[in-house]
Amino acid sequence: MTTEALYLQQLINGLSLGAMYALLALGFTLVYGILELINFAHFNVFMVSSFVAMWALELLGLQGQNTVLTGFALVGALVFAFVVTMTVAGCLGVAIERLALRPMRAVRGTAAMITTIGVSYILFNTILLTAGADSKNVPNPMPDIRWAIGDATLRLREVLIWAISLALMVGLHLFVTRTRLGKAMRATAQDAEAARMMGIDVDRVIITAFFLGSALAGAAALIFGLYYNYTSFIIGYSAGLRAFTAAVLGGIGSVAGAMLGGVLIGLIEAFGGQIVSVRWTDVIIFSILVLVLVFVPTGLLGRSAPSKS
Amino acid sequence: MPNPDTSAQPSRNMMGASYAWLRRASPVQRIPHYWRQPLGLIATTAAALLFPIISGNDANIDSAANALAFAALALGLNIVVGFAGLLDLGYAAFFAIGAYTYGALASFQLEPAWSGFWEPFQWLDLVARVHEPSGDTVHFQVSFWLALPISAVTAALFGVLFGAPTLRLKGDYLAIVTLGFGEIVPIVARNWQGLTNGAMGLNGVAAPQLFGWSFGVRAWPYYYVGVALVALLILVSTRLKVSRIGRAWMAIREDEIAASAMGINLVRLKLLAFATGAAFAGATGTYFVAKLQTATPEMFMFPVSVMILVMIVFGGIGSVWGVVAGALILQILQSWFLEDLSQWLHALGRLVNVEWLQQVELSSWIEMIFGVILVAMMLYRRQGLIPATRAVQALSLAEQTAQLGVNTGTGGIERLHNLGDFTYRGDAPLLEVKGLTVRFGGLVALREIDLTVPARSIVAVIGPNGSGKSTLFNAVTGLVRQQSGIIRFAGEDIERAPPHAVLAHGMARTFQNIRLFPNLTVLENVLVGMHARLHTGAVGALLHLPRTQREEAAARERALEILAVFGNRLIPRVDHTVASLSYANRRRVEIARALASEPKLLLLDEPTAGMNPAETLELAGQIKSLHELGLSIVLIEHKLDVVVSLADNVVVLDHGEMIAEGPPDVVRRDEEVIRAYLGRSASLGGVAVA
Repeated sequence: MTTEALYLQQLINGLSLGAMYALLALGFTLVYGILELINFAHFNVFMVSSFVAMWALELLGLQGQNTVLTGFALVGALVFAFVVTMTVAGCLGVAIERLALRPMRAVRGTAAMITTIGVSYILFNTILLTAGADSKNVPNPMPDIRWAIGDATLRLREVLIWAISLALMVGLHLFVTRTRLGKAMRATAQDAEAARMMGIDVDRVIITAFFLGSALAGAAALIFGLYYNYTSFIIGYSAGLRAFTAAVLGGIGSVAGAMLGGVLIGLIEAFGGQIVSVRWTDVIIFSILVLVLVFVPTGLLGRSAPSKS
Repeated sequence: MPNPDTSAQPSRNMMGASYAWLRRASPVQRIPHYWRQPLGLIATTAAALLFPIISGNDANIDSAANALAFAALALGLNIVVGFAGLLDLGYAAFFAIGAYTYGALASFQLEPAWSGFWEPFQWLDLVARVHEPSGDTVHFQVSFWLALPISAVTAALFGVLFGAPTLRLKGDYLAIVTLGFGEIVPIVARNWQGLTNGAMGLNGVAAPQLFGWSFGVRAWPYYYVGVALVALLILVSTRLKVSRIGRAWMAIREDEIAASAMGINLVRLKLLAFATGAAFAGATGTYFVAKLQTATPEMFMFPVSVMILVMIVFGGIGSVWGVVAGALILQILQSWFLEDLSQWLHALGRLVNVEWLQQVELSSWIEMIFGVILVAMMLYRRQGLIPATRAVQALSLAEQTAQLGVNTGTGGIERLHNLGDFTYRGDAPLLEVKGLTVRFGGLVALREIDLTVPARSIVAVIGPNGSGKSTLFNAVTGLVRQQSGIIRFAGEDIERAPPHAVLAHGMARTFQNIRLFPNLTVLENVLVGMHARLHTGAVGALLHLPRTQREEAAARERALEILAVFGNRLIPRVDHTVASLSYANRRRVEIARALASEPKLLLLDEPTAGMNPAETLELAGQIKSLHELGLSIVLIEHKLDVVVSLADNVVVLDHGEMIAEGPPDVVRRDEEVIRAYLGRSASLGGVAVA
């Protein structure tokens, strides 16, 4: 492989990873924008959703890599899997908000964040204790269609991942900017108290943010499964931290920023692994997180510095 | 003084007469209260010292030694999370740094070639020269006892290094950055084979020696070292907690902005907390690796950081004895109880012939249990097993209405001594503001304000809501930095000074929305106000020198004097948390806290808001008395009768501009003021008292 082809291949890989991180980052940003809360439970909502995605595909009778679908069957299977995973993930997010986080809303300081760590731990261990510690094989119904671009390969699954991610993000953007609830959401993010006085049901807005954020994590989890063809109880941690870095890099609280940040982090991971070494990828990404926070705390597209007064 | 000792006498109303026998029957209740603490301490110490003799089982002593290591870690994280309120999710990183420091200093891991450079170290017995066929090498053999402080200092340096770039960020960002560092350190440990031997674990870490006698692999010497370590760290924690440093940490935890405005250097104290916590973990790391005689990167991963966090949440965030209890209980649960319980369940399973009961291994449930504990404690008992602050019962009616020897109502405070020196004696005007402009984005909050406060004067700032009065205070005290113009205090330029430096110059303030430290007591709030005037540092607090004790005693005495300015309003409530006070009393505490910093100029932002007419009159009298003691005051106030009765000079702001200035009588007749401030048709007299 030539160097150019290698880089082109990493560009393709990075965009796919980036699409996934962007979807996951949106969940952090939606909740943070409204509650100023870093939701550590989101890490493992993603992980649990990847198991839900696997079970949804297996429910259709798909096993391992053997069954390949085409045409309407493929579209139907994917739509089913996305709908089921996103719905379950969204409901999980809502349940977490309702049961664990709403009572903490009035509490100042770090208490709510500590609670999300506890919830995350519970999700993590629920899967570990029920599904076991071994990696699971996620069914992949997509035909192995490849296009050669020079020495690099573009596979159908990558194109599909890009298209689905793009559609979800455009959908979210339209929801936030065009709908009544979306406008209520943006108003609450600016000033929850004022929004409440203007008759906005803030509880409903927060529930919506959790549902949407978690549903997008569900989509990211299905994409993870389709891309890597495996899942395991440990995937939440590193993917979650990358996505959080993406949200911060793009400017936490900013929907467009989360998308941009996600793609950038995906590219950095792919090229960092290529140029430096895969075992230092985590260190590179955390260094970016720290550098961004210290030197550009607003991120690339953020509005204002993260300081509460 | 009506200051009920609640621990000794439970309220009669609460217990009820029919339960009196219960109180008499309880053996603890029969012990006089002043004996309880020493007796408890003696009992705990005796139990800790006698445990290995009673237990006799080496495995149990070993588990107890491990539990002590986690108690030490919990104490360290408690400094960071509990005292200073900084959520550190990568705390195990410092544990790792301490462990690998000892690993490098006393193992066969690093073996550089011998050279003359090492000779002085050989004389000091820190290294040995090993003869090998391929050439002589250096063998590090630093004593365990020397390595303990070395690794504490090393970890503290890393604490400063990690903390410095992130401590300016809001708390939750710190959490995520520390999470990142907590991840990076084990990765570095895994990849830096030379120093750590990676996942294989350190090679041949030396066991500690005492007078030439090696600890080897016996459990009990490590146990006693662990007891000593935990005892030392408890002492350090408790001494810091009740010192100037500990109060400053808790003030930061409660309200950063108020802490900064009361003279606390946020960056320095946060770094101190981070470094102290890291030092605890560093020393514990050395202890732990000496005990295990190896270390692998897996010992320091995220789950360990979470486990320590669970321990302090369970025991009681901020409570020294609570976190020790939390750590010991959870460790014992993990190493003894879950094993036993699994065995019982297996037996039960065999008895009733249920397959899965025979298979269940509860020890793999430990992380799940931790997660449940974390969430359950946060939802249902946030203060933990042993709360850091004990609730003080409300005052009885008699106590509330008790009259003190000192004044109630107006005047009389000149009889109080030791309030501090509020008099400015310099030649330059006390406060001089020239051309002050503050912009928030496109909004001009203040435009070209000129203001002079002469020494020993009271200046009132009035104006409609949103006219920029509070912004003026914020700009002058350094809380708002988007400004241009000159601000001089006692002849010195302070427009670039951070809030804590402004306070140190002698300008203290209160806030319109009241910014007290809600979970600290009235007395502690006032003591925080003295931060800039006291000198005790961390070392002084630890050593508890006579000088420190004198300073602390004098500070408490002066705090009570200051509280006595408000007669019997606050004195009976000195041990109450301010969260339990009425609105008016909170305002009084805030003024007392500002006075504690011995200001030359006091900025009061609507001090009488929320007070009834009688209370307003009382406070106005007290302000006047303070002024007679030499204090200069700038006052934002809506109640014009207060303004007229107090102020020498009145400044009127409207839409960020100064529209009038002069003596109260002149300003109240100014047409423009009447229009801007009171509306067109209002007459001054009618609205003034409203």
